[in-house]
Amino acid sequence: MRRMTGHLQPHVRILARRHVIMLAAGLLSLGLAAGYARAADEIVIGASVPLSGPLAGFGSYEQWGYKRAVDEVNRAGGITVDGKKKLVKLIIRDDKTDPNVTASNTETLIGRDGAIAMLGSCTPPLVNAGALVAERRKIPIVTACAPLESFKAAHKWVYAWDLFFHEPDLASAPFKLMKDFDLQTNKKIAILHENGPDGQVVGGQVWPGLAKENGFEVVENASFPLDNTQFNSTIAEAKSKGAEVVLIMAITPQAVAIRKQMASAGYTPKILVIEKGAEPVQFAEALGKLADGVLVGGYWDPSFPFPGAADLAKAFESETKQTSSQHIADTYAAAQVLLDAIAAAASTNAEKINAAIAKTDKTYVVGPVKFDENHTAKLPMVEMQWQNNKQVIVWPKAQATASFLFPVP
Amino acid sequence: MLSVEAIASSVASGFLLGGILALTALGLSIVLGVMRLVNLAHGVFLVAGAYLAFFLLQATGIDPIIALIPIGAAIAIAALPVQRFLLEPLAKFGPEAPMMTTFGLAIVLENLFVLYFSADTRSIERDYATVPLALGLVSVPLVYVIGFVISVCAIVAVHFVISRTAFGRDLRASAVDPSAAAAVGVDVRRVHALTFALGAACAAAGGTLIGIIFSFTPASGANYLLTDFAIVVLGGMGNIFGTLIGGILLGVLQSLAGITLGDGYRDLVGLVLFLSVLAVRPQGLFGGHTA
Repeated sequence: MRRMTGHLQPHVRILARRHVIMLAAGLLSLGLAAGYARAADEIVIGASVPLSGPLAGFGSYEQWGYKRAVDEVNRAGGITVDGKKKLVKLIIRDDKTDPNVTASNTETLIGRDGAIAMLGSCTPPLVNAGALVAERRKIPIVTACAPLESFKAAHKWVYAWDLFFHEPDLASAPFKLMKDFDLQTNKKIAILHENGPDGQVVGGQVWPGLAKENGFEVVENASFPLDNTQFNSTIAEAKSKGAEVVLIMAITPQAVAIRKQMASAGYTPKILVIEKGAEPVQFAEALGKLADGVLVGGYWDPSFPFPGAADLAKAFESETKQTSSQHIADTYAAAQVLLDAIAAAASTNAEKINAAIAKTDKTYVVGPVKFDENHTAKLPMVEMQWQNNKQVIVWPKAQATASFLFPVP
Repeated sequence: MLSVEAIASSVASGFLLGGILALTALGLSIVLGVMRLVNLAHGVFLVAGAYLAFFLLQATGIDPIIALIPIGAAIAIAALPVQRFLLEPLAKFGPEAPMMTTFGLAIVLENLFVLYFSADTRSIERDYATVPLALGLVSVPLVYVIGFVISVCAIVAVHFVISRTAFGRDLRASAVDPSAAAAVGVDVRRVHALTFALGAACAAAGGTLIGIIFSFTPASGANYLLTDFAIVVLGGMGNIFGTLIGGILLGVLQSLAGITLGDGYRDLVGLVLFLSVLAVRPQGLFGGHTA
């Protein structure tokens, strides 16, 4: 009996193995068939955005902007590709403000979810991490929320496209504002910037150069990592050196901490610019009256004379019951650029979509979008100021929606 | 070169802030000293305290400083079932299983914070949080002084509980030899549960102060956990006054690093100190013992 069993066992094993292989193959083919069925019925595009972590303040706006553009296309019946009208399916994954997660999300969205094109995350580390994966997979990606110099410096892009502000425009806006309003200060500047790619470009290079050009003395230039929350010594130095102009590039948790620590150190400069961190409404919600007078560069406002600008903000506010942010506009426009390109290509072929993106030349909610040889499209800049928990445009004077508050209260 | 006033103010601020950070580290130290548990969820308890204070202020208008004891008590009560039903059953499998459970718990709680409170940056808005206090040449934030006084009082109170009460006696006995303590009638399970709750209460109180002074997000706990580890290693596991001195020492050294190298190097100094003490004197600068 034992011998028989011994003879039978390999045979049974082979049969079992064959069954397992057949079963697996069957399941795999079923899965593939389901995947192809989905791919045949829908156009899948993916997005990895920071819905948690320090940049979550931006991610929620990005998610809304992307979804709105896709919803509008679907309400109009979808996009015609290969002669057939198809709905667009947007799959969004949370990258937790971690570039490694952005990269793995992008792999998953392209490889497993079947995304034929991608929409980008926010800030250069996250955007570039996702774009590099898309580039390697030869899948087009349209992004906003990555300043153009940082985006250009990362790679010679073939499949990635960025529409956002240009760092020199952002960096020069406070100096132009001070000149246009003929503001009287002691011309001493303190620069505090995080050591991320855009922080290094704006705070480490562009601002010091512009300060010199405009006759200012940089009395302090301090950089810090993205997770730093204590700035006592930096603030003490700026105060002791009498800087009446303070330019800061930091994410929102840091921006809030810096503003509170400045107040508790009894230090109020005449001009206070906080780029990036002072953009989301959470900045003002966390600080209350302390946010008043803080300047931040802006590339969009509902008052801009571009099609759908006012309606976009109204739609956001009525849907979410929150104050709108400029991040709804650039992401909405980025998604529209991609959807228009898919429609123009009339195909889900990556090369054809990429070629169509390159030909983009249209005015969107953020203004005219036309990509240059570096795959970047520059958005016009204004200077905004927090006043009574609201952002108002104070510069250029022609576009101002409120009077400029000077000095910082 | 910084002025003498600026240097003195920075060092004084570091001293006071170090005392506040000591309160955030105290719970970690006690739990490590008594239960031999590396509580990786400690930072999340800290953030939970900050959220509770934030929403309590919004809902009732009660100042978080006044409500510090109820906030600590609420988080302690919430922590009790965690110890009883999650950590206690795993204790028999060695120290790794409960430690990894606290790691998992930290991730779950952080995600729950995101789900229910959003990932937005928050800060507890109080007028006294933005007022400077001038003492001669030195100017420090008033809230640092308030926080330091509260922190020292809390640390002294914990010391009193541990050194002068029946629970403290049981706790010290359990810390030295749980088996021997159990043999003489100490309810070690109860001691561990209350110790874990006390640790969570200290974290919540510290988190409330952090929420008033700085800002916080669901992910903020990890940063403070690292700082707290450095303080515990400096002060010695379970050494209550060692934790206070470790916190102050770290605060002053980080301020000096801020003055000389820039504020961006504060954490680097903390971590270098952490590793150096671990390598040279692993029992901490002041030795590890409870009370």
